Formats: sequence, C-alpha cells, structure tokens
Amino acid sequence: MNLMADILLNVIIAFLVGSVLFGLQRKIMARIQMRPGPPIIQHLLHTFKFFIKESAFPKTAAMPFYIAITAMLCAIWVAAVIVGPVTEGSLLLFFAIYALHKIVEHNAGSSSGSPYGKMSCVRAVFSAAAELPLFAVLIIIYLKTGTMNIGNIVTYQGHYGPLIWGIPLAAMMFFVLILSKAPYSPFAITKGKDIISGYETEHFGLLRGYLMISESIAWYMLLWVFLTVFIGGLSPIGYLIGMVLISALVALINATTPILNPNHSIMVQVSLAFIGVLGSIILLTVY
Amino acid sequence: MDKLKTISWILFIISIMFIVYALIFNLVNWIVYAISLVFIPLSILSFGLISMARGKKEDEEDKRKEPFIGY
Repeated sequence: MNLMADILLNVIIAFLVGSVLFGLQRKIMARIQMRPGPPIIQHLLHTFKFFIKESAFPKTAAMPFYIAITAMLCAIWVAAVIVGPVTEGSLLLFFAIYALHKIVEHNAGSSSGSPYGKMSCVRAVFSAAAELPLFAVLIIIYLKTGTMNIGNIVTYQGHYGPLIWGIPLAAMMFFVLILSKAPYSPFAITKGKDIISGYETEHFGLLRGYLMISESIAWYMLLWVFLTVFIGGLSPIGYLIGMVLISALVALINATTPILNPNHSIMVQVSLAFIGVLGSIILLTVY
Repeated sequence: MDKLKTISWILFIISIMFIVYALIFNLVNWIVYAISLVFIPLSILSFGLISMARGKKEDEEDKRKEPFIGY
C-alpha cells in the first residue's frame, strides 16, 4: 500500500475508534452512576459539531501561538501513528511524543491568557513530574527484551509469551499512565472541574473540536502501545476487544473515584512508579 | 471574504494538494512523513477555520456593550 494512504488510513481509524471508545467510557460511567448517559457516538458528534459552531478568539490570547498549539498537538499524535502502527518504530520516540504532549498541555494553558488555563499549565508541569517517571517502564522493557523497537518486541513475545506475565509491574505502571490521560480520571488534574476545563477552557468552537480529534488519536495510540508491547501483535479484532476492555476498566475506575487533589495525585503516581521500578528490577533479578 | 477565510482557503488547498501528490506518487519515505506531519494537521485546522461560524459584524458592538452580570 502507498505509504501516505497507510498513514491516512491509520490516522482516520485512530480518530474514529478513539472517539467511540471515549463515548463508550462516558456511557459505562453513566450506567455505573445510575444515569442513562449519552449515546456512544456522542463524543464523535461533539467533535464534528464544534467545527460548525460560532468561534471567536479571546483578546488575551497569545496569537498565533494560541491556534498553532492545537495544530502541534495534532502533529505529535500523527507522528505517534507513524511511529506505532505504520512503521512499528522505536518506543523511545513514543516517549518523546508523550513528553511533547505534556509541553503542549502547558503551552495551551499559558497561551490563552485565562487564569484557569494558567492554573492548568502549572499543573501540567506538576503532573509531568509524576507521569514521566512512569515511563521508566521503557527501561524495564529494554532490560527484559534487549530492544526498544516495537517490531522486535512483538517478535520477542512470539517466542517467549506476552510481556504482561514477565513484567506485570511495568504493565501496571503503563496502565496508570493511560489512566492519567482519560477524562474524569482521578489523575486528570490538568482538566479538573475546579479549573473549568483546564488548559482547554479558552479553546472553544473549532479549536476544541480540533483538540478533541487529537485526544481521540492519543487515546487510541496509548491503548495500541499497551496492547502491542505487553500482549503482542494482535489481529484487528483482538486490538478492538483489548481496547474496549481497557476503556471499560478505566471507566469503572473513573466512575467510582473522585479527581484527586494535585498533591495526592502526584504522590500516588510517584509511589506507583517507585513500586513499579523497584519491584520490576527485583523480579528481573530473581527470574 | 475576510483575510482569515482567504488564508484558510489557500492553506487548505495547498495541504490537500500535497496530500494528494503523496497519494498518487511513491515518494521517498521521509518526504511522506514530512508531508503527513505538516499537512494533515494543517488541512484539518484550515478546514475548521473555513467551516466555523462567525458572529455577525453588527452584533459585535452589542456583545462588547453587554453589562457585566456575573457574580
């Protein structure tokens, strides 16, 4: 297949599946909380709806950065699709993309000129200090498999079985990282309702729709990396089932847990990272 | 047509042209990556800037004059 067609197809699949999974998550959360909840395609419809809504740009916004930052978020997750499903490249690049996502959260908040955005921008730095150590999972994967290449990791699992059994604490760390990116998550301090919509507060109308497209791609990619790295190369149906299961589990956690106070959120994540790294090293030494 | 709409149309047409060019011809991989990273986000953004609704010019003054009723 033509490379551009491959990239476009994967980006569209990532957006559509990511959006529907977000919708599913809201539906499950609603049912747990005894509410009927919105239709599963609501997130997708919202995304399209924002593109035709009346939009205006705040006077306090730092133009053109305020608009460019939304394009940057989209660009980094398109890059993730290229590194992931298209080329099965290096996990290290995926780490760089995740780190850039935190920078975008920070800059989107600060470029809007809104006090809520600025508060969220401070929290983005704060949460990066906790989420990035969770990415120490990469070192553990490297120590176990001797490679950072996604394709080689899949081949390794073909010979020795899924990594989730070999390094379960690393899988737990990555799951916490996924959880921290979900809406209404206990760790979603950058979008806590106490600061309205956090860094997205002043990005409304088409810019919100644009951010939602990127977030859907991000959600799909995080789940894709988890399934590929810890369970191995699956069939498309296998990926779909895995993504639905993880999204349902995340929805269950989000529906039953309040958003933590920023200090507690950081402490919990850092503690989990510490337990994960130390425990995995002990497990690798023993077995 | 205002300046923003004109720029958006130009960017949208350029983005689509590059994407279609990469779809038709088999280019070197790094060029396709560059086109994807720059022009896929740009095409969505420019499309959004074209499709978004804008407030009426005559309503603008009323919006500014609206008394502060919060708190």
